[in-house]
Amino acid sequence: MTASFTDPNAALSPELAARDDMINCRGVKKWFGDFQALKGVDLTVKDREVMVVLGPSGSGKSTLIRCINRLEVHQEGDITVDGIELTNDLRNIDKIRSEVGMVFQQFNLFPHLTVLDNITLAPIWVRKKARVEAEATARALLERVGIPEQADKFPGQLSGGQQQRVAIARSLAMEPKIMLFDEPTSALDPEMISEVLDVMKGLADSGMTMVVVTHEMGFAREVADRLVFMEEGNVVEINEPGAFFTNPNSDRTKLFLSQIL
Amino acid sequence: MAAIQDDLSMNLEAGGVAPDVRPDTPVKDPVQWMKENLFSSVGNALLTGVFVAVLGGLLWWFVGLVFKDSNDWDAVATNIRLLFSFNYPAEQYIRVWFSLGMLLGAVSLTAAFFDINPSMSVRKLGINASGLGATSLIVGVLPATPSGARIVFLIIGALFLAAGVGTLQAVDEPHKKFVSFPTMLLTFGLSVVAFAWLVPIGRNEFANGAVIDEGGFANPSTKIPWTIMMAILVGVYFLARAVKPMLPVKPVQTFLITFWVAGPAFLIFLVLRDPTFDYDRVLKVDIPWAIGFAVVGGAILYWLTKPMLGEIGRLVAVALLGVAVLNWVAAFFGWWSMLQKTRVSFLVLALFALAAPTFAGEKSARVRYVGAWVAVVALGHWLITGINTTSTLDIAAPPFLGGFTISLVIFYYVMLVSFPLGAIMALARTSTLPIFRVMATVYIEFIRGIPLITVLFFFSSMVSLFLPNGMDLSELAAIFIGYTLFSAAYVAENIRGGLQSVRRGQFEASDALGLTTSQRTIFVVLPQALRVSIPNLVGQAIATFKETSLIFIVGAFDFLRVANVSIASQPDYLGQNLVGLLFVSAVYWVFAYSMSRASRSLETKLGVGSR
Repeated sequence: MTASFTDPNAALSPELAARDDMINCRGVKKWFGDFQALKGVDLTVKDREVMVVLGPSGSGKSTLIRCINRLEVHQEGDITVDGIELTNDLRNIDKIRSEVGMVFQQFNLFPHLTVLDNITLAPIWVRKKARVEAEATARALLERVGIPEQADKFPGQLSGGQQQRVAIARSLAMEPKIMLFDEPTSALDPEMISEVLDVMKGLADSGMTMVVVTHEMGFAREVADRLVFMEEGNVVEINEPGAFFTNPNSDRTKLFLSQIL
Repeated sequence: MAAIQDDLSMNLEAGGVAPDVRPDTPVKDPVQWMKENLFSSVGNALLTGVFVAVLGGLLWWFVGLVFKDSNDWDAVATNIRLLFSFNYPAEQYIRVWFSLGMLLGAVSLTAAFFDINPSMSVRKLGINASGLGATSLIVGVLPATPSGARIVFLIIGALFLAAGVGTLQAVDEPHKKFVSFPTMLLTFGLSVVAFAWLVPIGRNEFANGAVIDEGGFANPSTKIPWTIMMAILVGVYFLARAVKPMLPVKPVQTFLITFWVAGPAFLIFLVLRDPTFDYDRVLKVDIPWAIGFAVVGGAILYWLTKPMLGEIGRLVAVALLGVAVLNWVAAFFGWWSMLQKTRVSFLVLALFALAAPTFAGEKSARVRYVGAWVAVVALGHWLITGINTTSTLDIAAPPFLGGFTISLVIFYYVMLVSFPLGAIMALARTSTLPIFRVMATVYIEFIRGIPLITVLFFFSSMVSLFLPNGMDLSELAAIFIGYTLFSAAYVAENIRGGLQSVRRGQFEASDALGLTTSQRTIFVVLPQALRVSIPNLVGQAIATFKETSLIFIVGAFDFLRVANVSIASQPDYLGQNLVGLLFVSAVYWVFAYSMSRASRSLETKLGVGSR
């Protein structure tokens, strides 16, 4: 019974099951000093799938997605992203990072650059695009996230919600195949959360492969293809949203849901 | 402001209630202010009394020092050129004025194109004028002041006090009215010109070996150049403001930054020295070499900045570095002869090649990179040729500059080299590669444990003992190297402090975007670290500037030595050290204080983009 609902391919709709794997984690283990943050995580994210990772704080959700683009180094297990194996080879890491965009809880915009320069920096120097072209793309992206008029301001002059939308645009400018979201709305004032979630919904509708760590249950229920529940470095349950919220498999999930809903 | 008004009117149109207007904070009258701040309690009143007594005593003592009977201020007035430009020949003095004019013009252009326009409120102006007037009156009353000067101090004091208080009384709401920067600049320029032409400051100079000391108006060779200088300062500013809307601002700003970095070197070596170029050789040897390096090097760099070039590019860069180092080794052992500038060019080309992958991009980025290389070649070859050509200037003593100018020159070169060197050291010390980290740490801690004077002595006297036969290091070059190495260690520590303040998230965001380590450092980490380090770096710059006076102990004729030794040993002014020292202190203070003020406004200006 236990094996079935933590099987990485659990709860896949036939349509999703037919698609290629985008991210594959097998037996991923990670220690911070003596503390084990990930205790052998198996996970598969399909092409154009939206996967939401839930769990109490300290459960290893953030660590997991930070391992996917090598912001943290895992000690055991294999991670494969779009067919590229994540090893110590710098070229593989560069290749994966150019395919995976990431949005942080604290936005991490570059405070000394204008919004436009924040977005065009990587396309110009990593993708080697012409400045004119990169700026046109950046303006189009700002239009898409709903703040075209802020292009020439500095991040410090924007509200939190606007900053996070710039951060999303900055990641999208690299034309990634996968987007990772690490608690993108946790540092925001309540009235700004929806403007960021709306942008993420639009992104999901456009067919982006997304892994989202969040506490926004409404978003999870509405947008996710599958939900992953983690606790103490283990994947406890993988399920589709309807079943997850109404009839979860594991007792631990039930307890978690009863505490937050 | 406009936005607030829009909000206001919208509110009113919507039938809402206009928000209350914040009442003005009343400006306290002086008596009230003193009551609240100086005499609020018995203890406070006591402290105020002690403070005023100490301050008065100090002023008394200082005025006594300045007006001591044995002081002969003519010593400074007569030797003013010696103090500032040492024994620079009078018939070539136009070159000094030309350099100063260039610098003043650049100051005005910088102010205009970087929108530097500090303004002062009328209230502040009135208070400053009154304070100046009051101080002048007190000096006039003190018994130490000689009777001739007493009248002048009393009159000037009364005038300033009246003007200051009058302004404060006559102007309505003086704290809300401002004197603009152009007005202040114009007033400054006109005051200097009026002073030079209308005030009988007398004529003091050396002419044909005799001291001239007569009353009357200033010498034309003083007041005419200063009038032109002020015309440049003010004229260029207003001209620049007028043409600014028609010019692309960014390129002009880039040009100005380049001028401040490279311009002084140009002025020192090509204007003040006047090299006699052998144009035949320039045409046949120098220019072809420069063009060769520009074209061949440019082609190599254009190829190296091709995106995704891979390992082959790195191999070529390392090979170039090998050739460059080999050239220097060959020159050292005399294996083959080569022009000095080709050796330098090879080295710079290798550095450009190593940095190429970081700046690789599509066509316009590559063209810009090659353009930077061509500019470096042109400037470098021109300067090296100029430096290696003998000068027509006939100067009695070996150093072609001295006095305050040599202090400025040493300061400029030490800053120019020790800043990049310090930045590299700081990065090395925070690097994850142990070799770099250990080397940088050992160097920085070693240098910081040694007094500057030891370093200077070492480089001025000991280093030449270790040099191979036939290689010679001039005294000044040795001092410069020692001082630069010393300063770089301190700059490195200041920048390291800034590097540590850059948050971890900045590194993660750069990594997640796929920037390489060097791109992350250049575009994200260093700009933020440098901004944080500005106050410390300016402090370091001011310290360096003042400590240039230490070069006097290793034999250079700097500002301090001219004042303290040269003037005091002239037969006419034997033993006049005190006036020289007072004058030197005043000049150093004016420069150091200006730097400190400039840094404060720079911090405010850069604060725009901060969190």
